[in-house]
Amino acid sequence: MAEYSKMAHGYYTVSGGTLGVSAPSARIINLPFKPDYVELINYTQAITPALHGIPFAFWDASVPPITVSSVQYDTIVQVNATDSDVTPVILTTDSVRVGGGISVFSAGQLLQFGPTYKHNSVASADFSIALSGAGGPTTVTTATAHGLSSGDVIIFEGLFQTSTTGMPQLNGIPFTVTVLTSTTFTIPWDTSNATYYTAFNSNTSANNAGAWKKVLYPYIYFPNVAFISGITLGNTTTIDTTHAHNFVVGQEVAFRIPNQWGTVELNSLPNNLTPGAPAYGYVIAVTDYNTVVVSINSSAYTAFTVNQTVSSVSGLSYPQIVAVGDVNTGGVQISNGSVLYPPPYYSPIGTTRVNTINGPAIQGAFVNNTSQGFIVGNAASRVDTASWVGGSNGDIMEWRAYLHDITVV
Amino acid sequence: MPANGGTTCRFMRPRALQPPTVQLGNSGIDPPAQVPQRDIIDAQMAFFGTGCIINEQVILQDQEGVLAWVSERLAVAMRQAEDLILRDYIVSAASEINAGGGNNGFNPTDLGMSDFSLVATTLDTNNAYKFMSGIEGMDRFGTGPVRSAYFMLSSTELQSDFDTLTEDGFLNQWNYPSNTSALPSEFGSAFNIRVLTSSEAPVARNAVQNTLGEFNDVYYNTVLGKQAITHINQDGYSMNLIYRDPYYSGMLAQNATLAVKFAQAQAITQDTAIRNLLCTRESNLGV
Repeated sequence: MAEYSKMAHGYYTVSGGTLGVSAPSARIINLPFKPDYVELINYTQAITPALHGIPFAFWDASVPPITVSSVQYDTIVQVNATDSDVTPVILTTDSVRVGGGISVFSAGQLLQFGPTYKHNSVASADFSIALSGAGGPTTVTTATAHGLSSGDVIIFEGLFQTSTTGMPQLNGIPFTVTVLTSTTFTIPWDTSNATYYTAFNSNTSANNAGAWKKVLYPYIYFPNVAFISGITLGNTTTIDTTHAHNFVVGQEVAFRIPNQWGTVELNSLPNNLTPGAPAYGYVIAVTDYNTVVVSINSSAYTAFTVNQTVSSVSGLSYPQIVAVGDVNTGGVQISNGSVLYPPPYYSPIGTTRVNTINGPAIQGAFVNNTSQGFIVGNAASRVDTASWVGGSNGDIMEWRAYLHDITVV
Repeated sequence: MPANGGTTCRFMRPRALQPPTVQLGNSGIDPPAQVPQRDIIDAQMAFFGTGCIINEQVILQDQEGVLAWVSERLAVAMRQAEDLILRDYIVSAASEINAGGGNNGFNPTDLGMSDFSLVATTLDTNNAYKFMSGIEGMDRFGTGPVRSAYFMLSSTELQSDFDTLTEDGFLNQWNYPSNTSALPSEFGSAFNIRVLTSSEAPVARNAVQNTLGEFNDVYYNTVLGKQAITHINQDGYSMNLIYRDPYYSGMLAQNATLAVKFAQAQAITQDTAIRNLLCTRESNLGV
C-alpha cells in the first residue's frame, strides 16, 4: 500500500469572509496530482468554536453525491450549531452542493466553461443588466446566488432584448467580475449610452435571449491577449481591459483596434515610413489587473469609443492589446514573505498576485500556468445557510489531500 | 534550448531600419546614424510527463506485447500534448478577428470568402511570410490554380461549411492541379490561405447565442505566416521514454513503469504574422 499513492498537506490563513455573514473567495490549492480525497480542519473553529463555524469538512471522489430536492451534495461538513443545553455550540452534520464545497480541478486546457445560466430557461437562471453610469462599470443582477468570486471571468451570449435592442455588444468578451452581493456583480464596461445599449431586463415574458457562463481557466498561458474597454489618450496612453492583462512593467505590447472603435492610430502596422517596422509600445506602469500605462504619446489620436450599434454586432471584431515581448532582464523581486526565487505570477483582480507553480523566469516571459489540485468553494451549507466551508477571515485552515492506490467499491 | 541555459528561452528579433531615401547631396556631411533596435521575446520552459504502472503478471502473461503498445500510446499522448499546449497558447496569446462574411446572424458569423481575403490581406500587409508557393494551373477538368499561401488550422467540423463555399471559390484539395505539395490534412484553399483540418482544433462549445436564443459553437481558426510562432525543446528533453523494470518497485518487484517526459516552451515570435479567425458554423454538426 502507498507505493504510488500521493499525500499532501498544508495550511493557510483564510482571507476574507465574515463568520455567519459572508463567504471568503474560493481558495485554490495547487498540487502535483488531482486528489480523490480531501479533508479540511479549521483549527480556529475547532479550538474556539463559534456559531456557524465549520471545523471539519470531508470530500471523497469515490462516493456518489447525494441528491436532495434535485440538488447534488458531495462535501460533508460539521457545523457549530446552537444547542440550548450546551454552551456555546454543538457540532452537527451538514453538506455542501457539488462544486460549491471541496472540488478538484485540472487546468490543462483552455475553452472550458462552467454551467450556462440561460435567461428564460428556468427562473433561477434569469438575470438582468442595468445601464451603467458614465465610464462604467455595468452591474449584473441574478435571480439566485451567482456563486462567483471577484476575479472570476465570465462571458455573455445573446443579450438581445429584441432583434435591434439589448446589449449583444458584450457577447464573447471575457469579463472579470467584481462581486457586490450574492446576486449582483459588476463588469468593467461602459454601457451608459442609451442610444447604443438597452438595459437587459429580467422580464421573462419578453422572450429576450441571453446567457452567461464562467470561464474556468482563463489564465493558463500568459501574458495573454486582452480586450480593451477604455483608452485614455495623452502623453502616455492608459489602457483598460475587460479581464486581467497579466502584463508587467517593461512588457512590449501591440494593438489591434478595428476602425469602428476609434483609436486606430495605435495599431502596429502598416508603417509607411519604415516598411516592416511595427509600432509597439512599452508598459511603463501597471495600475492594477486591468489597467496599464503604455509609453505611446496618443495626444492627437482619435478618441476610443465602446458605443457600437446592435445592428453592427454580427461580424464585429473587438479592440485588443497583445504582448509582443519584454525588455526585462530579471525575475520577480524578493519581497517580505516571498520565497527566495519567486515564480511568475498572474493578477486576477486588483493587485493580487497569484503565484504559478513554475520556477523563476524573466518577467514578461510567455509562461505556462497549467496546474491541478483542489478548490475550497464558497457555497453555503445546505441546512445552515449562514455557514461556509471556506471559513472566515483569519481562520487557520489545515488541509490534507490524498490520491489512493486502491478504491474498493 | 541548451542545457544549463536557465529557465527562460530568449529570442531576439531585429527591428527594421528606415530605408535611406533622402539623397546625400554634395555637402560631404554624413547623415545622422540610426539606432538599431531589437525586440526581445522570452518564453519559460515547462516540463510535462505521464506514465503507466504495469503489473508484471500482465507483462508475463499478456499475449499482445503490452510494453510495445503502451509505449506507442504514450508516445502519441506526448505528441498530442505538444500540439494541445501550442494550440491553447495560440488561442490565449494571439489576437482575434471575428468572421463577418457569413450570414448566419451570429457574431462571429460563419465563414465567408471575404473573411479569407481579409485575413490574408492583414497578414500580407504585416509582411508575414507565406508557407507555400503557388500551384500553377493545368489543363485538367475541375482544377484551378492555387495561390502562394499561409496556413489556416481549422476544425474538421467546418469541412461541410468549406464544401458549401466551393461555389464561391473555395478550392477543395482534390481540385488542385497537382497534389504533390498538398499535406495529408489539407482540405483546400481560399485566396492566399490553405486550410488544414484537425478534430483537435480549438472550439468553444455553445459560446454564442443569436436573437432567437439559439446557441452556436465558436471555432478558432489560426492563420499564420512562417515567422509567427516557435516551439522550443529543452536539450535532451524533446522526448524521454522511461522504462523501469519491476526490480525497482518494492519488496516483491511486482510493477514495471513506462513513462514519457518532455519539456517545451512556445512563443509568438512575430505577433503581426498570426491571427485567430473566429467563426461559427453554418451547417449542422455531424456526429
